[in-house]
Amino acid sequence: MTVGPRRVSGAASLHKDGSPRPPFRRVLVANRGEIAVRIIRACHALGMEAVAVYSDADADALHVAMADEAVRLGPAPAADSYLRPDAVLDAARVSGAEAIHPGYGFLSERASFARAVEQAGLVFVGPGSDVIAALGDKLAARRLAREAGVPVVPGTLQPAPIARAADAHAIAAAAKDIGFPLLVKAAAGGGGRGMRRVERAEDLPAALAAGSAEAASAFGDGSVYLELELRPARHVEVQLLGDSAGTVVALGERGCSLQRRHQKLVEEAPAPGLTRAERRRLHELAVRIGRAARLTNAATVEFLLDDARRPWFLEVNTRLQVEHGVTELVGGLDLVVEQFAIAAGRRLSAAARAAADRAASPVRHAIEARLSAEDPGRGFAAAPGRIGRWSMPAADWVRVDSGVRSGDRVPPDYDPLVAKLLVVADDRRSAIERLREALDQVEITGIQTTLPFHAFVARDRSFAAGEVSIDWVTERWDGVADRARARPAAWLAAARAASSGEASPWLTEPDEVPAWRLEGREALHDRWPE
Amino acid sequence: MTGAAGRAMRVGPVPGLGLPGDEPAVLDPGVADSGAPVHVIVGAVDRIAGGTTLVEVIAGGWRFELEVEPERRALLRERATRAGAAAGSGAAMEVHAMIPGRVVSVSVAAGDAVRIGEQLLVVEAMKMQNEVRSPGDAVVARLAVSAGDTIELGDLLVVLAAHAPPRDAS
Repeated sequence: MTVGPRRVSGAASLHKDGSPRPPFRRVLVANRGEIAVRIIRACHALGMEAVAVYSDADADALHVAMADEAVRLGPAPAADSYLRPDAVLDAARVSGAEAIHPGYGFLSERASFARAVEQAGLVFVGPGSDVIAALGDKLAARRLAREAGVPVVPGTLQPAPIARAADAHAIAAAAKDIGFPLLVKAAAGGGGRGMRRVERAEDLPAALAAGSAEAASAFGDGSVYLELELRPARHVEVQLLGDSAGTVVALGERGCSLQRRHQKLVEEAPAPGLTRAERRRLHELAVRIGRAARLTNAATVEFLLDDARRPWFLEVNTRLQVEHGVTELVGGLDLVVEQFAIAAGRRLSAAARAAADRAASPVRHAIEARLSAEDPGRGFAAAPGRIGRWSMPAADWVRVDSGVRSGDRVPPDYDPLVAKLLVVADDRRSAIERLREALDQVEITGIQTTLPFHAFVARDRSFAAGEVSIDWVTERWDGVADRARARPAAWLAAARAASSGEASPWLTEPDEVPAWRLEGREALHDRWPE
Repeated sequence: MTGAAGRAMRVGPVPGLGLPGDEPAVLDPGVADSGAPVHVIVGAVDRIAGGTTLVEVIAGGWRFELEVEPERRALLRERATRAGAAAGSGAAMEVHAMIPGRVVSVSVAAGDAVRIGEQLLVVEAMKMQNEVRSPGDAVVARLAVSAGDTIELGDLLVVLAAHAPPRDAS
C-alpha cells in the first residue's frame, strides 16, 4: 500500500492549460509550529515560495529555518505577535506575498482579519470573510443548520435576553423545555470559554451571568445561549471542501471523542462503528450546511452522536483542523494543496472528487496521536522545556507532522503540541497495532509529553472495541496509576546508568542551566559534609 | 568489596522534583527486570560532586529526573550527619573514612580538645592529601588509626567525646 501524504496530486497538475503552474508565487504562512512546517512543505511541493512569521520566542524555530524568508512579528506573547492582524498584514506586504495561509488557531477564524486580507488585495487561504463571520457565530450557525433541515443539539436559537429582568421567566421556561443538565454557551465561543454546566434550575441565573461576563471579556461579545448537555455522546466531524463554482463535497468523517477539556487527544478516520448508511447521512447533512453557507475552501462540521448514533449538529470550524491528516491518509489527497488551488480560483481537483466519491466506503483507517508537551499525570498541565533527544519512527505507514528538532525549546507562550504521529492501515484493528508499534519507537527526552496516555489508548480494550465517548478520558485514564507502574523500571534503569560510568550531558545553553539542576547541586553539596 | 551489597544503589527523585510515591529505594543494578515490560530510554546522565549521578529516565513515556548514589556512600553520609547532630547534643561521635587511602599524619592525641573544623588527620588518596576535620567541638576519646595505616571507605578513624561532659543524671 502506498500512502504518500506529501504527494502533490491533482490540484496543481490539473490546471486547464495542463501546466503545473503554482497557484501562487509567494505565500505568507501566518502560524508557527508543526502546522507552519506542514504548510511550508506544501508550498515548496507546489513550487511556491514560503514566507514565515515569528515571535522572539521562535527566532530559531524549524518553520523559520525552512521558509524562504522570515519576518519578525513581535515579542513572545501571542497577543503581541501571532495574534496581531496589522503585523501579519505588514509582513505580507513587505515580503511580497500574494496569499496568506492562516493555519489553525491564532487568526484563522477571525472574520475581521480575513476581511482585512481581502481588502488589502491579497488572498486569504480559507473561506470568505462573510462565511467565517456567519459560521463563527454559533447561534447563527445553529439557525442556518436548522433552516437547512439538519438536527441541531436541542437548545435555544437566539441570545438569552439576560439583560432584561422581565424575561427571566422566559429563559427559565426555555431551560425547562431543554432539560437539565444543560450548558450555557457563548455565541462567539471557543475552547470552552464562556461555557457553564448547569444541573439545577436555580443555578441558571448565576451561570448565565458568569458565562456572559467571561464571553464578553474573552471575545468582546457577551451573547450566550442554552444547549442540552447530550450524554453519553461521541464526537464526529465531517471534512468539507468547496470551490468557487459552488461545488461542496464531504471527504469523510473523523472520530474525535477522546478529548479532555474540549482539547482533542486522539483522532481517527473513519469514525468507528458507523454503518455505510449512517456515514452517508452524516456527510449529506454536513454538505447541506456547507451549501447553505456558500462555503468555499475547507471547513469542518462537528456533530455529537447520541447513544442511538443519531447525529446532532454542534458547530462549524472554518479552517484547516489540527487532525486533517487522518482524512488525507484515508482519502489519498492533500488538503493544504487543495486549499491553495481553491484559493487561486481553481475547481476541486480530481483527487478531491475521487475522495468524496469514496468517502462513505473508506478502505483504509488512520489514527492520529497528538504529542504535546503536557503532563498526563497532572491533568495534562503544560510542561514546556527544552527537548533533548528527538527520534520518531519512520515507515511508509507512519506520518509525523512536527515543528521541532532535537535541542529546540518548547516555549510556554503557545499551544504545547509538538508533533502529530499518524498511522494508516487497511482496517482499524491493524491501525491500532501500528499505532502501538510506532509509539514504542518514539524517543523524546528533556520534556514530559502525552506519550504515556497515547500508549495506554493504543493498548486499551474499550478503545479497540470502538467503545468511545467524550467522557472516555475522564472515565478510563488514571495518570497517577499509569506512572506508578512505570516507576520500578525507571528506578532500575537509573541505577544501571549510574553504575555504567557513562555520561551524557543535559542539552542546555550556557546561560540556561535549568533551575532544578542548580538547586539539586546546591542541595547535594549542602548535605555532603566536606 | 564486591557482590550485590557493594553494588547497591540508592535511587530517588531529584529533591523537589518528585511526585507522591516517588520514594527513594535501594536496588541492585544487576538484578533482572521484573514486572510488566516498560519501554525505557535513558536520557541525560550527569555525574556531579559527591559521587551522585543525576539520571533522566523516560519509562513508558513518563519522564523521571532521578539522583542515584551508591548505597554505601549514602549510609556513610547519613552516619556522618547523625554523628554531627549527636555532637551538637553532647553525645559521643565517630569519624569514618569518606575515601579509601593511606593515613599520612595524625594531628591530635587522645584527650585533646578540638574545635569544629579543626584538622584531625590527613589522608592521602589518589595522590591528593585530604584533611579530615572535626565535625564539632569535642574531646578526642580514641584514635582508631595511626600514620601509615591503609584505610577503606567507611573505616573508623577517630572517636570523639562531648566537649563538656553531660552532668550525671543519677
